[in-house]
Amino acid sequence: MRRIILGCVILVSMTWAKSVPVANDALYQKECASCHFGYQPALLNASGWQKVMGNLQDHFGTDASLSQKEHDAILTYVTQNAGNSKLTQGNTTMRISQSPYFIKEHRRIPERLIDQPEVKSLSQCAACHTKAEQGDYSERNIVIPNYGRWE
Amino acid sequence: MKKIFLTLSCSAVVLLAQEFNAPMQAYMNELAKEAKTQNASFERFDAKRGERIFTSKHVGKKGQEMACTSCHTVNLKQSGSNLNTNKTIAPLAPSANKARLTDVAEVQKWLRRNFNDVYHREGSALEKGDVLTYLINQ
Repeated sequence: MRRIILGCVILVSMTWAKSVPVANDALYQKECASCHFGYQPALLNASGWQKVMGNLQDHFGTDASLSQKEHDAILTYVTQNAGNSKLTQGNTTMRISQSPYFIKEHRRIPERLIDQPEVKSLSQCAACHTKAEQGDYSERNIVIPNYGRWE
Repeated sequence: MKKIFLTLSCSAVVLLAQEFNAPMQAYMNELAKEAKTQNASFERFDAKRGERIFTSKHVGKKGQEMACTSCHTVNLKQSGSNLNTNKTIAPLAPSANKARLTDVAEVQKWLRRNFNDVYHREGSALEKGDVLTYLINQ
């Protein structure tokens, strides 16, 4: 019973804090986060990850191909830790930024703050979410370059 | 005069000291063999040709003109930045980053990916050998 209560408390606080578990897999960090922000697996659902991993030769316009062994290990990691919440619900694509919840949360940000060189696109989580690396996307930790806090 | 001579010979030794480790040298030998098979007049890899491969612009995988230097910059002793994501790239020059060009699997992976990104095709054995010869001396 205690465990269940503890589980509920953690779950509720995570939802409130807008947090996801840290991407702590060493191979994932080395192979994926060497080129871009290390998106936490929970930001995309399992079918999205399968799409991503199914075409690394053309990974959003770039060749990110891996050896079969590395590919299989990372596919297992991301699908086993894939998202299954309102964050990823209804997202039928392989883009985190196409999730309905993601779109809703970012809808009020002016284009000029997204297009600027310091940000480039909504794919650069860590450009504004100062604790994105730790899986913390809460509003109190947002600082948009050339704008400031977003609260 | 003696001093100058000594300094010069010391720096020559330092320059010559930039060589591949054993597994990388074995890979270079493989590339040389392949280059010779593809073109009988092949003699040796050339850093100057490698530099041109590295710095010249080509229509890449994304349909835009780019060069290796678009991300790695022209100063390989300094950090670069991923053109698409702004992510910092550690220096490519072995003189500034000892881990570079030491792991054959890593080298093969990045040559495959980056030739595709910049040239929109795989690199030939000659091109790979030339560019690695250029890079090892950085």
